[in-house]
Amino acid sequence: MQEVALETAINSIRVRFGSQALTRAAEMPPPQPWSSGTPVDQLTGIGGLPRGRLSLFTGSGTSGKLTVALSLLAQATHEFAHAMVIDGGGFDPWMLIPFSPEPGALTVVRAPAPEVAGEAAATLARAGAGFILMLGGVPEHWLGPLESGANRSGTVLVGVVDAPNRALAHASSFSLGFSRHDWIWERGQLVGLRVTARCVKNRVAPPLGETELEIRYPLGTQTLTDHRVQVTEVIDGLEPCASAVV
Amino acid sequence: MRVCCGLTGHLELARRPDLYGKPVIVGRWDEHVVAASEETLPFGVTPGMAMRQAEHLCPQATFVLPDEEATDRIRELISASLYDLAPVVEVRGEGIAWLDTSGVAAPGASIRDARHRLLKAIGREPRLGLSPGPFSARLAAARARPGHLLRVADAREFLAPLPSRELPLDAEQLERLDLLGLRTLGAVAAIGPRELESQLGRDGRHAVQLARGLEPDQLDAWRPPLFTSAHRQFEEPVEDREALLFVARGLCSDLADELGLRGAGAKHVRVRLELESAARETRESVVRHPLSSTVELFGLIGGWIKEWQPSASITELWIELPVLEGAGRRQLRLWAGGDGTSQEVEAAMERLQERFGDGVIARVSFA
Repeated sequence: MQEVALETAINSIRVRFGSQALTRAAEMPPPQPWSSGTPVDQLTGIGGLPRGRLSLFTGSGTSGKLTVALSLLAQATHEFAHAMVIDGGGFDPWMLIPFSPEPGALTVVRAPAPEVAGEAAATLARAGAGFILMLGGVPEHWLGPLESGANRSGTVLVGVVDAPNRALAHASSFSLGFSRHDWIWERGQLVGLRVTARCVKNRVAPPLGETELEIRYPLGTQTLTDHRVQVTEVIDGLEPCASAVV
Repeated sequence: MRVCCGLTGHLELARRPDLYGKPVIVGRWDEHVVAASEETLPFGVTPGMAMRQAEHLCPQATFVLPDEEATDRIRELISASLYDLAPVVEVRGEGIAWLDTSGVAAPGASIRDARHRLLKAIGREPRLGLSPGPFSARLAAARARPGHLLRVADAREFLAPLPSRELPLDAEQLERLDLLGLRTLGAVAAIGPRELESQLGRDGRHAVQLARGLEPDQLDAWRPPLFTSAHRQFEEPVEDREALLFVARGLCSDLADELGLRGAGAKHVRVRLELESAARETRESVVRHPLSSTVELFGLIGGWIKEWQPSASITELWIELPVLEGAGRRQLRLWAGGDGTSQEVEAAMERLQERFGDGVIARVSFA
């Protein structure tokens, strides 16, 4: 009798909120990685950014988090039919040119308010956009729909914020903290920066550690498309670090 | 033209799958037999004969009253389920389903799917025939074993030994053929169309063309209906937005199921609220990409309901899709990417533009 009642309750939840609103634990697949081909893949512990989960890149200004995110976005434009940028303000598509993106797959959502950003991100994640880059936070009440939408469709969600609020940090499954520790000068000219990317939260695998990245800017009188921004890993091995949950 | 024919038995019989394997006669008293199961054939019962005569021949049969409306529903259901398998599909109440597989990339797969879908709809294995035209395909299917396909390469050669009674002529014309000694289709094919036309009129010419495998008849392609709607009347007037959303989601799910069956998408969506003590309120929108899934429909309608401020309690909710568009076989995963359907993402972007203005979505071009 109890089983019948439970089955009825499960069915009513599925009817009301969709067939995947309620999933038995045994049926839940492990997080699938999206391999971006960047050093970030190694930090996730599963060989790529987790599909259907929110990954956060955090750090103060000029710490390289946006550059790394843009290189992921450019890669996503080649691999997915739809790569989206939810722009809370200040995103310039021309910043992407050094990464040789595929413009046909790139769409920018200009969100004049966080509410619009939240709704747009949740709607697109639910519809199955392949990759969504969120520049800025979204209101707390949109994080649930965003997570569940991405989870159903397998969207790769990447958020870039200076310092995440508590709700956003809690919603993320993987979080990388960026900090700049050196500028790179060559012949008296600034050519890039050296940053440390540290895994500060990882729900999809054991927290792994940190790595050092060298980010080189395009330089000289050559056109931007002649250069690719170089994001290279400096340290070969990954060093374990004390993980800290945000 | 390559036509596949699936024979299922009269759809009147499909209304009572519990009587499969037993002698069943469908018809009204004092009228003619509409359909008779295969089990009545040994007793001499044939469709078209007087019911009283059928009752004398096979008194142990179960007699069922015909229900044209229910049969039409089954025919629509079968047509809709076969619609995406071939460009032209025709289903008749006699239990004949034709698919024109010309131009279909994988006709074998379509025929296999057709067999499974007919089995699911009727509950019995269909007999299948594949031939250059509908007439020879039907005769081929009639000679195939249940669940098997009989292929015909040369229609004229296949038809030649078959009895001329297979021609679509009335009893008097068939009798006349018999008197003329034209007892096989080969014999009919051997004489000129003018000669038979002088005997049987225009039907005679048609009969010769059929017997020669020229297949003069075209299939009458089924088209999905262009309008659909769903509604719910509330026992008590509703003021709770959550309840309205719950009902709307259920209706969207029903409509999506129906659209899926028809292989159609909605180009125009209208929501109507009937109010207890005020004039009805309506909201509608024409969308650029047809919506067909629950997510797509509810994404648009749910957004409206969330911000709707009805002036009175709601007594009835209507969701109407006044303009449907045949979506056919959707091009899922059209591009190399492993993400969701492009159409759903496009529809989602459209909804965002409808809500926040066109400027919210910017396509990037570096030209």
